[in-house]
Amino acid sequence: MPIDYVQHIREAVQWIEDRISRQALEIGLILGSGLGDLAEHVEDPVVIPYGEIPHFPVSTVAGHAGRFVIGRLEGKQAIVMQGRFHYYEGYSMKQVVFPVYVMKQLGVSTLILTNAAGGMNRAFRPGDLMLIRDHLNLTGDNPLVGVNHPELGPRFPDMSEAYSRSCRELFKQIAARYGEARGEAVRLQEGVYAGIAGPNYLPPSELTMLARLGGDAVGMSTVGETIAARHAGLQVLGVSCITDMAIGEELEPLTHEQVVEVANRTKPVFIELVRQFVREV
Amino acid sequence: MANMDVLNNIREAASFIRGKIDGEPEIGLILGSGLGIIAELVENPVVIAYENIPHFPVSTVEGHAGELVVGTVAGRRVILMKGRFHLYEGYPVEVVSFPVRVMKELGVKKLVVTNAAGGINTSYEVGDLMLIKDHINFTFRNPLIGPNLDELGPRFPDMSEAYSKRLRQIAREVAESQGVKLQEGVYIGLLGPSYETPAEIRMMRTLGADAVGMSTVSEVIVARHAGIEVLGFSCISNMASGILDQPLSHEEVMETTEREKQKFLRLILGIIPKL
Repeated sequence: MPIDYVQHIREAVQWIEDRISRQALEIGLILGSGLGDLAEHVEDPVVIPYGEIPHFPVSTVAGHAGRFVIGRLEGKQAIVMQGRFHYYEGYSMKQVVFPVYVMKQLGVSTLILTNAAGGMNRAFRPGDLMLIRDHLNLTGDNPLVGVNHPELGPRFPDMSEAYSRSCRELFKQIAARYGEARGEAVRLQEGVYAGIAGPNYLPPSELTMLARLGGDAVGMSTVGETIAARHAGLQVLGVSCITDMAIGEELEPLTHEQVVEVANRTKPVFIELVRQFVREV
Repeated sequence: MANMDVLNNIREAASFIRGKIDGEPEIGLILGSGLGIIAELVENPVVIAYENIPHFPVSTVEGHAGELVVGTVAGRRVILMKGRFHLYEGYPVEVVSFPVRVMKELGVKKLVVTNAAGGINTSYEVGDLMLIKDHINFTFRNPLIGPNLDELGPRFPDMSEAYSKRLRQIAREVAESQGVKLQEGVYIGLLGPSYETPAEIRMMRTLGADAVGMSTVSEVIVARHAGIEVLGFSCISNMASGILDQPLSHEEVMETTEREKQKFLRLILGIIPKL
């Protein structure tokens, strides 16, 4: 890791602080494929393209806008990442998680991570939401490899509750209430997210293997960010939108367009639940 | 790193060390978290700081001292690494295992590796010693990637008996004679440095692992490549994530190894003369 990682974080933080109100931020959101529209609900937004921020990488994938939207969301000071950095784009894990440390130093204490994922659990259906209970880091890398900077977090951070139990409980309550109010239960699952490097979708045998290893959903983001967030002492809520079924024995061809299409269909409910969560957390 | 450089680096490091010691060490010891105590029992020790050895990296983690101790233990010539290099520190895998190459060059025939590990097997208890029967390389790294140097070992080294059956038998006998409970199991080596999630621990149990740690596998792969016989031990310093309803901490690991070090020490001392 570059010795000046900490310095780079500070400079990015300083640069952003000069452009926003002095009020400390509370909630960070990193929005995955197709869910970036949540940022439209931010009031009095300050929009900062990543490319303008010192030391920030720039997002390249279609469907990821690549900017911070900072302002009030449901009464909370929020910073929304519209577009994230993926390991498969060729960024180092340090780059992928750089924004997490920036958000932490801007005052964020709760981080909401969303992603689009393939469902490996047979009880799931496309369009389901899955609360991430835990993850498998199968990316082959870890953002904390390298010299540890104690000012960012401990050398060996605990991961026994990577995804906050209380956040998960709150989200479940919110989903149940929402379902009651509209007269149709929200299909909210809970499971283990298997994070892989990508970018290829997995062949059937690899999906079968991941399912046997305990994965309920598979995707190409989130685990690095969660590890860094826990290192930094943030509480994490993770929610996957199950955009396709990824069951090895029954696999059909998949395109990114299909993923975005299902994510778009699920978006209204997803956004509603996340907004309510932000209000109550 | 170009091929010839690797060989030269190994030879220069070995030559530097040879200039400071008498005779050839025959047994190498790589000691993990908190187990550096064994170094205190080396007779007529020559202590060489890593930073003084050409091409040697320097250890950064708390509890790892970073020096070679060469001398005699129980009548056998040993070379002992007090502090090792870890992948999570950011060292490339061939750097992590570089000292094993140097040991081989100095004449080492047998390597004893120890580590602190999390117990995955639920029949284990904190403080147990585990004889490593085999390992799973889950680091996503291999120190032998790249052009093979035939002087160092074969292109495709066998791993069917990475941890010597013969040496394990000796270890079991010594443990029994000392009344030390010795588990025997599979060590899964991870990149780290974050501790594992409960879901990852369940996965590793499914994969056949009994204990989890962040060292050892790269060193052992290189040792076997170099034709060195290996004996490995894990000190079960904590139960892995999700087994007990409590967070993991480096402090717990250090406390356990501190508490168990006398038992561990006695076992190693009992084994060395029989190797």
